[in-house]
Amino acid sequence: MKKVYKVAGHKFAVVIPDNDLAWNEMKNYDPFLVDSDSDGLFCVELIDVMPNTSDKQKVMTDCAGFDLPRFDIYEWDGCWLIEGAPTFEAPVRFYLITDKAFTKARFRILGSPRFSVNTVMMLMFTLATEHRDTLMMHSSVTVKGGKGYLFLGKSGTGKSTHSQLWINNIEGCELLNDDNPVLRIEPNGEVLVYGSPWSGKTSCYRNLNYPVGAIVDLHQAKSNEIHQLPIVRAYASLYVACSGIRFLKEMADGLHATIEKIVSTVPCYSLDCLPNADAAILCYKTVTQ
Amino acid sequence: MKLRNGYTLRSLGKEFILVAEGLDAVDFSRMISMNESAAFLWKALENKDFDSDTLVDLLLEEYDITREVAEKDVATLLQTWKEADLII
Repeated sequence: MKKVYKVAGHKFAVVIPDNDLAWNEMKNYDPFLVDSDSDGLFCVELIDVMPNTSDKQKVMTDCAGFDLPRFDIYEWDGCWLIEGAPTFEAPVRFYLITDKAFTKARFRILGSPRFSVNTVMMLMFTLATEHRDTLMMHSSVTVKGGKGYLFLGKSGTGKSTHSQLWINNIEGCELLNDDNPVLRIEPNGEVLVYGSPWSGKTSCYRNLNYPVGAIVDLHQAKSNEIHQLPIVRAYASLYVACSGIRFLKEMADGLHATIEKIVSTVPCYSLDCLPNADAAILCYKTVTQ
Repeated sequence: MKLRNGYTLRSLGKEFILVAEGLDAVDFSRMISMNESAAFLWKALENKDFDSDTLVDLLLEEYDITREVAEKDVATLLQTWKEADLII
């Protein structure tokens, strides 16, 4: 069965056999279903049997941290072969073979589909959209007054907590996405934030978009303090928080162009904060003034 | 000496940053900001063998400064780059 989805305005198709358990992991994609005769940017198909890839050539390993997913990247038969695992040391859980234009891909999963299905979709989406003014940003997004506010920070900093503090203490706030929203620069230069099927532990898969009001990089501290970031610091904050893939020059160039446009358009702040209402109110008052 | 592979110099408005990119990059989260003259030297030295005299000559060609000032600036810059492990 083939289904077509549209995330942040980018269409893509997913082919999985009718009764396969992998569809259970695709429920968070339902709000993004579209009726379409065309596949859009790419089509990714679940396969049962891998071709023989024993003559693959290793290109590199991409792993941003010991507890973060690892991607071993190979060149094979004119394609990229990406072998993925949930942590640096874990055994391989999926194989993804994509053409180098990222339009046609197949994947095979080992064991439970939970990690693999989402990771494969996010990888393909990132690879296919990275040079198209699009950026997946590891963050929690709260909407207030028709604008989206992104909260960035290292794992465990309290991004979700800060969103909840806005929602509980400031009237008219709602959550758009709690883990991986998508930023996109529109043809008129406006930066929009889109909800996505990727929201971490929070079930919040909203097919909505808003202009970005501000981006706030959070740091745990003993008191609350906020300041606007100069452009180089803002760039560094976004560079670390985005799910960019940069092993090819075209990808790195696309990523740079997108981040540069965002930091030139959207105000970015650094917030030292406690997990309390005062932090949310200070942040809200500063970034919306 | 040579510049370490795996870094790309990028401009950001009026500023310059060195980011880890490409197949030779070791740490993708690394980013170094550079002023205009450091960025000028970095660009000129890419894929070349060089010594401190190369840098001094480059500065004297580009900027209206004395050799003494150029030598002092180059010594400071090379020290910084060595500490940041940007030179092999």
